[in-house]
Amino acid sequence: MNKLTYPHLNETLYTHRLANGLTIAVIPKPGFVKKSAYFATDYGSIHMDYTLNGQHYTTPAGVAHYLEHKMFDLPGRDVMEEFAALGASPNAFTTYDMTAYYFSCTENFMACLELLLTFVSTPYFTQESVEKERGIIAQEIRMYEDSADSKVYEDLFAAMYRNHPVRIPIAGTVESIEDISAQTLMDCYNAFYHPGNMILCVVGDVEPETVVELAERILPKEAQDKPVADLGTEEDLDCRDCDTSRVMDVAMPTFQMGFKCHPMADGDRGEIQQIIGDLAAEALMGESSSLYQRLYQAGLIDGSFACGFEDVPGLAMLSCGGDSRDPEAVRQAILEEAGRLCQEGIDEGLFLRLKKSALGRRYRALDSFDSLCFRVCATHFDGANYFDFPKHYESVTKSQVEDFLRTAIVREHCAMSIIWPRQEEEN
Amino acid sequence: MIQPLEILPGVRLRCVQTDRFKSSCLSINLLRPLRKEEAAKNALLSNVLMQGTSLHPDMQSLSLAMDELYGTSMGPMCRKNGEIQTVGFYMSCLDDRYALPGDRVLERAIGLLTELMLNPLLIDGCFCPEYVAIEQDNLINTIESTINDKRTYANSRMLKAMCRDDAFGVERLGTVADVEAITPQSLYAHYRSILATSQVEIFYAGSQSRQTIAELLTSALSTLPRGALTPLSYSAMPSHEGVQELEETMELTQSKLSMGFTTGITSRDPEYPALMVFNALYGGDMTSKLFMNVREKLSLCYYAGSATSASKGILIVSSGIDRENYQKTVDEILHQLKLCQDGQITEEELSAAKKAMISSLLALQDSLGSMEDFSAFQVLSGFPLDPEDYRKTVEAVDIPQVVAVAKQVKPDTIFFLKGVTNE
Repeated sequence: MNKLTYPHLNETLYTHRLANGLTIAVIPKPGFVKKSAYFATDYGSIHMDYTLNGQHYTTPAGVAHYLEHKMFDLPGRDVMEEFAALGASPNAFTTYDMTAYYFSCTENFMACLELLLTFVSTPYFTQESVEKERGIIAQEIRMYEDSADSKVYEDLFAAMYRNHPVRIPIAGTVESIEDISAQTLMDCYNAFYHPGNMILCVVGDVEPETVVELAERILPKEAQDKPVADLGTEEDLDCRDCDTSRVMDVAMPTFQMGFKCHPMADGDRGEIQQIIGDLAAEALMGESSSLYQRLYQAGLIDGSFACGFEDVPGLAMLSCGGDSRDPEAVRQAILEEAGRLCQEGIDEGLFLRLKKSALGRRYRALDSFDSLCFRVCATHFDGANYFDFPKHYESVTKSQVEDFLRTAIVREHCAMSIIWPRQEEEN
Repeated sequence: MIQPLEILPGVRLRCVQTDRFKSSCLSINLLRPLRKEEAAKNALLSNVLMQGTSLHPDMQSLSLAMDELYGTSMGPMCRKNGEIQTVGFYMSCLDDRYALPGDRVLERAIGLLTELMLNPLLIDGCFCPEYVAIEQDNLINTIESTINDKRTYANSRMLKAMCRDDAFGVERLGTVADVEAITPQSLYAHYRSILATSQVEIFYAGSQSRQTIAELLTSALSTLPRGALTPLSYSAMPSHEGVQELEETMELTQSKLSMGFTTGITSRDPEYPALMVFNALYGGDMTSKLFMNVREKLSLCYYAGSATSASKGILIVSSGIDRENYQKTVDEILHQLKLCQDGQITEEELSAAKKAMISSLLALQDSLGSMEDFSAFQVLSGFPLDPEDYRKTVEAVDIPQVVAVAKQVKPDTIFFLKGVTNE
């Protein structure tokens, strides 16, 4: 195994690549009782169109999420009950670009890991079981439809992008999942759930070699070609719609706005761009910025306001949002402040403090097993190593952040999604 | 049980010394009786204090000070637990061992935290009126926004109806009208009064020794006024005659069901561990009877689960369903309870429920936030066991004990948030 030590972080990372292409990452945590494992595939809701072995596939929206639900089925066995008997409870999630299966436990770790690897590597879909799940998933989709927090994001992505499949909600729609059959699930499984497209990340007091041996024993031996996802024609930076809104049962108007940026590079360059984007958001409108202070004092934003840089394969954006009685005034203020910052530059002292703060928070986040597993998996799919973040922070300069702001904060590249409260009916 | 150390009259410190984390955490809680007269003021207070101090007069200067401390986070914390409401702060900072050599993060962070608590920005001897007004608006929005999360909304409506004549029915954040009635003067007078009269509970976990923390805090809190402490009380929720059924309609695709049960068993009773095992196997996790039957077998809902309000002995079952499944779901939830009461519990179900609880009790020591939370639970709910003894008690729970507590579970209030669609 490849061993990398990070003395400043007090962490060690073991990595190994199996002959079948699977990447294994183990981060030992001596002295901790808890152990966590994430088994993740580089496959999310946006991977609807893809090519494998020369054949092109077009699949309905929501397959990745549907598959996540159905992977827990094993012929003649009950995965949940077996985990429960071992004292662990597994779970899973689907994002725009990743599906992950995971568990945490305090005992029986190897047995739990074997079960995780087994059920995720055993596709078992009957038309009957796929049919039965449809009702449960439809209920889940309805729950998101009633949630302003989900809707405000989904509407924003649909407004910003013309072609990119991020336009469509992760779980699909009640209509789109009608077209998903056992065969659809099997096709997508075969394309995306091959070990070469996946990573196994383990955090806890475990022997790294035992993880490798187990994975070698349970998973398929052969390597396989990777599917190539088609994310639609690359778009220019203008948004499809600059404004989108709807009315829901919320108390306060809530908004999300995004400034469309060029998609990010893979590998370390992408990681550095991510840090530049985050620092730019903080410098412009983070809690320590004068803009945040002004907007808060004017009652235009409250503690729910958050900002940051987001990226999904094929897209990137600087975004912010929260509750506001006047979202348009917030947008105007951001555009004006960005203009001022680009002209006057970011205060050197502020820049250093923001870096120190962000780095300190990243260090602290290493205490959470879940957050660490997620970061390691996501960074791996971006072609980089998560533990390099201190080095990347070190390298970022103030002028890089200023340059980024100059190109990112442009009125024409901005879209805003608003959820307005339902007006009381007049008597 | 972590032995508390009384560092000042009525100020108790509990510490866990550990060098396994990159962070350390500290919480300060003022304990108040939950009552309508002060709930809104207590909820508003920490938010106003977070606005500025005499040395850091606005949010920006406070935020910059936290950036300088390696991104230390400090936030207001207002808990409701049984008939106790807490006012205070939670702080998490980088452990000194990871800071640049010689940088003392914790000491400075404690300084800033106590500054927030004891040295607010004052204008003419009172809170800054603008800060109070802003936070009043924000708190009103927060209260009104409870409607955004329909599951929480349904549960809070149910609890309010269930506790119509109990102190527990007082909302954690007070009501909009209570918040509106607050003035900078009334809030400041309340602040000075509760500083002097509240029992204060402090929790720390990190690499420093109890003695070091006690010394730092004793010095940082030297100006904390101390007087006669306001007494606190605990009681179980009494059961009512019959079952109360309420319904409200809202434009929603998914309807929400919330059912409240009395159990007569609180965190102070010896049967409590058995009640928690019952909760886990009835509706507490993904292998529970409710999850396996209401969701998996009958596909009636997306979620169905139970949770307890330990200090009051209340059990809540909530579920998201299609509106036409209302009666079927209610019947199935009650049917599954009846099965437990009739002793239809398998050894596998019992063992899975116990293992899940034991695992989370063991994992407690691996998370600073969970340790803080458990300590608060012990203090606020009068729970007598530490995680290790609690775990041993859970291990010994058997089926007859679970059946015995299941028999005490009695439906009290059913609230249905019925979804309608205006197409």
